Amino acid sequence: MKHTAVRAWCMILSAQLSGAAPNAWGHHSFAMFEPFKSFTFKATVKTFQWTNPHVVLWVLVQPEGGGAPQEWSVETTSPGVLTRSGWSRLSLKPGDRVSVTFSPLRDGSHGGQLHSVTLLETGQTLVPGSGKEQPGLQ
Amino acid sequence: MQLQARNLTLSLICVWLALPVRAADPDAVNPAPTPQDWQRLAKLPDWSGVWTPVISDQVAQEKGNPPPWKPQIAKQIGHMYAEEAAGRPFPIIDHCFPTGMPSWMLITHNAFEVLFTPGRVTLLGEGDGNRLRRIYTDGRPHPADPDPSFHGHSIGHWANDTLVVDTVGILPEVYLAITEAAGVPNNGDMHVVEHLHLNDPDTLADDLEITAGKVLIKPWRTTRKFYRQRARKYDIVEGVCEQGSFREAVDQSGNSIFVPITFHNGVPVGSDSK
Repeated sequence: MKHTAVRAWCMILSAQLSGAAPNAWGHHSFAMFEPFKSFTFKATVKTFQWTNPHVVLWVLVQPEGGGAPQEWSVETTSPGVLTRSGWSRLSLKPGDRVSVTFSPLRDGSHGGQLHSVTLLETGQTLVPGSGKEQPGLQ
Repeated sequence: MQLQARNLTLSLICVWLALPVRAADPDAVNPAPTPQDWQRLAKLPDWSGVWTPVISDQVAQEKGNPPPWKPQIAKQIGHMYAEEAAGRPFPIIDHCFPTGMPSWMLITHNAFEVLFTPGRVTLLGEGDGNRLRRIYTDGRPHPADPDPSFHGHSIGHWANDTLVVDTVGILPEVYLAITEAAGVPNNGDMHVVEHLHLNDPDTLADDLEITAGKVLIKPWRTTRKFYRQRARKYDIVEGVCEQGSFREAVDQSGNSIFVPITFHNGVPVGSDSK
């Protein structure tokens, strides 16, 4: 094997995969979110992270009981898929007031999978993906 | 009689020596394409545009035509399905390596495009910056001992309007996956033969035969479909997987920089999560 460095890398990866869950890799399935559970929060956009493999909407949520705003991450599909659904990297910007609906993480951490987001100022609702499968989509 | 036989043998040896060398030639040179080479491309089928996977068909194939796993591998797969159902998906793609062959063709949710150039077909994917396949159609053989890679070494030829691709040299650690959370490393010696062709004017079919003796009891034949898109918003965009592990920031010197995001069990979470 000539690419010993690559193979060593992969052996390290295999060792990691067989052990504890990784904590710093961004590409994943979405099974860690509660598929049949939905939260809707009014929130303020902190950052709209337009990155692969997943776009992340970071929002600040004011707890009902008061206290400091809590930061939540709401993940969705890739920039390419969102672009084809009418989104752009400018669809949301810091400071925007939004209503965001998502499936929360099963472990209770402050994260979720996006279902939709509505800009409260304009009423525009954005959803990830068209759901259509056919050739020649517009 | 003996003389004739000896002459025949010598003649056959000479003919054999005169044949093109089929073993990989490390000193081979890629010739500059001729105008005729470019003209030949015009006779190939039209695979332009962007191809999006038919994910519903992926699911149908996963359920209706699963790989013929070895019994001990089937147990691992069953465990992965159970873990996924419990909200603990196995992290097959939780890194930024390419999905690799043949799983890219089997489970991708992202688009790709196909480029024809003299002596080569290139698949350019979306989602990882290094997701691409180089398929040599210039008649070269596989190297005798190809350096293992995520996509392997691919050679192809056209049989009428079908591109026949033969791929070897895939890293043993590359997963043979049927979903983003179910699959196993191929463990070596995997061989993939594909027949890529248009099913109809806007549907590209990839008929795969996957031989992976370390994990399958027999070759697995399956098909994946891709739909053609021509709207410009479907153009492939750059996707750098590792970028998703960082967020943009400005440092004390005013430079635009990336800073790592806090992850918890593989996903980014709010900084005040417990």
